[in-house]
Amino acid sequence: MSAELTQPATDVGQPKEGQRPVPVWLFVLLFILLYWAMVYFDQRGAWFSEEVYAPYHSIEEVAALQPVSGPQEFLQKGKRLYAANCAVCHMEGGTGNPANGCPNLVGSEWVSAPGPGRIIRIVSKGATGPIEVNGKVWSGGTMLAIGDQMPGDEKQKAENIAAIISYIRQTFGNKASLATPEEVVAVRDQIKSHTTYFSPEELKAAPDK
Amino acid sequence: MNFGPLIFLAAFFGLACSWFGFVLTPQLQIGRLQQTNTVPAGAVYPVNRPGLARQGLGVYRANGCVYCHSLQVGQTGTVCDVVLTDAGTNQNDLLVALRKLRPSLSEAEDKELISGLPKTIRQGLTKGEAEAMVKTLTTSSAKAVTWIVPVGPDIRRGWGIRRTVAEDFLFDYPVMLGSQRVGPDLANVGVRLADPKWHLLHLYAPRSQVKDSSMPPYRFLFEKRRIERERSPEALVLPPELALEPGYEIVPKPVATALVTYLLSLQANEPLFTAPVSVAAAPAPADTNATTGGVTTSTNAPATNSVPAK
Repeated sequence: MSAELTQPATDVGQPKEGQRPVPVWLFVLLFILLYWAMVYFDQRGAWFSEEVYAPYHSIEEVAALQPVSGPQEFLQKGKRLYAANCAVCHMEGGTGNPANGCPNLVGSEWVSAPGPGRIIRIVSKGATGPIEVNGKVWSGGTMLAIGDQMPGDEKQKAENIAAIISYIRQTFGNKASLATPEEVVAVRDQIKSHTTYFSPEELKAAPDK
Repeated sequence: MNFGPLIFLAAFFGLACSWFGFVLTPQLQIGRLQQTNTVPAGAVYPVNRPGLARQGLGVYRANGCVYCHSLQVGQTGTVCDVVLTDAGTNQNDLLVALRKLRPSLSEAEDKELISGLPKTIRQGLTKGEAEAMVKTLTTSSAKAVTWIVPVGPDIRRGWGIRRTVAEDFLFDYPVMLGSQRVGPDLANVGVRLADPKWHLLHLYAPRSQVKDSSMPPYRFLFEKRRIERERSPEALVLPPELALEPGYEIVPKPVATALVTYLLSLQANEPLFTAPVSVAAAPAPADTNATTGGVTTSTNAPATNSVPAK
């Protein structure tokens, strides 16, 4: 070992702090850093929202990036709603059920009418009475006001009804046009005060647009 | 001087701060997390794992899978693609609009672009740019949509189509997030590798399925037994280099079956509000299953969604 390393350190010539006050620039720097931290948090922290994960910075940013639904997703939704609300009586394949007088949707002229007006009325308010579908008379069945009983506000109801109707108009071999939520809202506006189930005569009198 | 009370107070303050930050705040944020709906299809997510898969989580935990595998996909950003879904009736208008967006296109390239729809026209745009482009394209009778594409190293590796969020682990206890990545991330392994037979063989002999795998074989999850009357339907179909002496077979013990059921239930790929992503409504079945048979590397399985080539 060399001599320098074994020599004891000495305080002679070392700077001393003494009673000098904290320099002002340190406070300025501290406040600048605090300000930067606050701005950073405000812009990127999303205020601890549980719905905002990195790399997103705000709930608005996440909301703006939501994918809009295309026709395929719309029909998927309709399929799910059909299974939950309609398939009990009309059966999974839309064949209807003679046991409770529930008519078929397969090849039904009511379902594949040029416009969805009548089917919107049926789904919204229900229907009762002997009804002729594809040459066969179904009686003894009553359809409840499924559309009115859907959960949610009027807008959600209209979207759900449109999804169901679009689904039944496009499956079971039916090839009719999709129903839009706007069409459903327009028809439901006309029948707002209708409180009973529709009869086939009333439906035939109604426009199918 | 007696600094005891001061030191106690300082330590208490420090621990209280970290308790607020690490325990109370997260509890307030996601402590009451509920099932949510996928966007836009609206299906309930997540659903509880089947009972066998929940037992499998215990096997996953007991065998220390978490020390080498993570269950969290990261994401560094989100871009928008423009996808042309329908050329419409007036193709000339569409070609004019396309030429406006990409002046360098030749006529032949244009024609190719609008055949075989849906087709991605542009990738890696911001939301605003993408929407402006969709608007330009739909001035003719064509239809185009904005496609939301999360990006990041993990997504480029094919480990998922979006980042994982707290909802993905709602029914798991304990949550096996993991932090080491000696092996690939498993958050979507049930989507990437949907074949239970592949998983069983991989657990029994990793290198028979993934060349140069550093995973140890988990042969104690299997039982070697003499074939009594006929081969068990569950017995592994071993490759020639692992062939046993005649009259014997390898069957998975219940723990192995449970573990594989759990692995197949790892599918954190539903589009959620908190992790928006566009997915094809009916993904082509060929894409998801093509890689289950003869995978040779650990990360080459494509995600079910289109990954932007960047």
